[in-house]
Amino acid sequence: MAERTQLWPFHAKRARITEFAGYQMPLWYEGIIPEHMAVREAVGVFDVSHMGRLLVEGPGAEGLLDMTTTNDVIGLEPGRSQYSLMCNQDGGIVDDVVVLRLAEERFLLVVNAANRAKDLAWLRGHAKGLGGQVSIADLTGQVAMIAVQGPRALDVLTAVSKAERPLRSLRWHEFTEGQVAGVSALIARMGYTGEDGFELYIWGATPEEPERALRAWEAILEAGRELGIKPCGLGARDTLRLEAGYCLYGPDINEQTTPVEARLDFAVKIEKGQFIGREAIRRQMLKGPRRLRACLKLLERGVPRQGYKVLDEAGHEVGHITSGTFSPLLRRGIAMAYLPPELARPGLEVLVDLRGHRRARAEVVEPPFYDTSKYGRRRRAS
Amino acid sequence: MARYEVPDGLYYTREHEWAKVLEDGTVLMGITDYAQEKLHDIVNIELPEVGARVRQMEAFASVDSVKATSEVYAPVSGEVIEVNEELLARPELLNQDPYGQGWIARIRPASSEELHGELEALMTADEYARYIEELEGKRV
Repeated sequence: MAERTQLWPFHAKRARITEFAGYQMPLWYEGIIPEHMAVREAVGVFDVSHMGRLLVEGPGAEGLLDMTTTNDVIGLEPGRSQYSLMCNQDGGIVDDVVVLRLAEERFLLVVNAANRAKDLAWLRGHAKGLGGQVSIADLTGQVAMIAVQGPRALDVLTAVSKAERPLRSLRWHEFTEGQVAGVSALIARMGYTGEDGFELYIWGATPEEPERALRAWEAILEAGRELGIKPCGLGARDTLRLEAGYCLYGPDINEQTTPVEARLDFAVKIEKGQFIGREAIRRQMLKGPRRLRACLKLLERGVPRQGYKVLDEAGHEVGHITSGTFSPLLRRGIAMAYLPPELARPGLEVLVDLRGHRRARAEVVEPPFYDTSKYGRRRRAS
Repeated sequence: MARYEVPDGLYYTREHEWAKVLEDGTVLMGITDYAQEKLHDIVNIELPEVGARVRQMEAFASVDSVKATSEVYAPVSGEVIEVNEELLARPELLNQDPYGQGWIARIRPASSEELHGELEALMTADEYARYIEELEGKRV
């Protein structure tokens, strides 16, 4: 039986439901395209309570996370978070995560829903070997998680919240304690859509007692009504992250891909000292990978999908699509694929085999797919 | 159950295509209201080639919603003699008017004997309405 999040009472009445990583989640409410555009142009709100939330605490917490993740945990200050990777000895990606440092010896790890059990076992296994005292608790069912995303997210959330630090003063990946509609929450400036936005962590909200989560959710929708806020499902979440050029664990990154191949080296601090996977990753950085993740924009009609073949201009197979969709903003097909390094260069053209129907020309582009002067977190203020 | 439109006089497949026998004996086809509602946000179609020969229930086209690509099956065998190229520019017609402006292809059956045999295998409007009602009932 699939699980349900704290916000199920809302989804059940309003959304087309899909099963994802063992959860019954909203795929869309009104439609993927209008929800996607609301986030790019104004604001949208997502239930992301299916994601795993693990609390890692104790004198050994910092050491454990510094050893099991690739980013610099020791340099991470309380009140800040970072995107990071858990890798195995071969440099394969076990999961991509966000690490929030709640206090000197207390961390919240946000992990992919499908990897929650694997990550827990991985962390507990490595905690034994390190000696330092550390406890790892799965808070997923007790903490609701809501993402408010888009250029007007700050306005909407400011209207319904009180926080220790003014929200507008938070830099990207910083967080503060606060209240949303009177419900205490941790408010973090982050997200996975490419837009400015916030993620709320609401403690004390379980699927059996969802009132606190529902109150915050309804208040955000009400506060954003005049701005055209929309509840958004996993469908729009996927098209938004793809337009931003962000990876989805499973199709785009997994234990068979490395941070170097996936071009996630920015989250790897090779000089920080020992961590799991370091030697393999360093070797690959020096030698150069055999393939690289590339972003593809179709130059003709068609929608690329996972598994479709990518061919060079001579028609030889050079890779396959790991994820692809129709970009609601560009009104054309976009995708990611692993290609030989010499082909993974912006400006080069390849062909995508649309499952036998046609071969469509595609251009390798630098992510994100959208015009960053008009869309995204760094857009020029209008 | 008035939620989905199921016009009388058409034939229906289990894969949610409709077929309409025209006066000249050719067959117009498309996807049903139920299909377009399930797919939602249709953004692209891959049409068959005019002149292609297809077998009944052969996948001969596909439609893309934002989320997924779905095959479209030929409701009857024959030669594809016309395709709705308007859909290439306006795929949303498949959502807006699936039995009218959203038609996909016209097929010329090899013979009327073969056509009538194949129509036997399809559903009438009443049968199809019951079929989608059952599908809906199964949804949790």
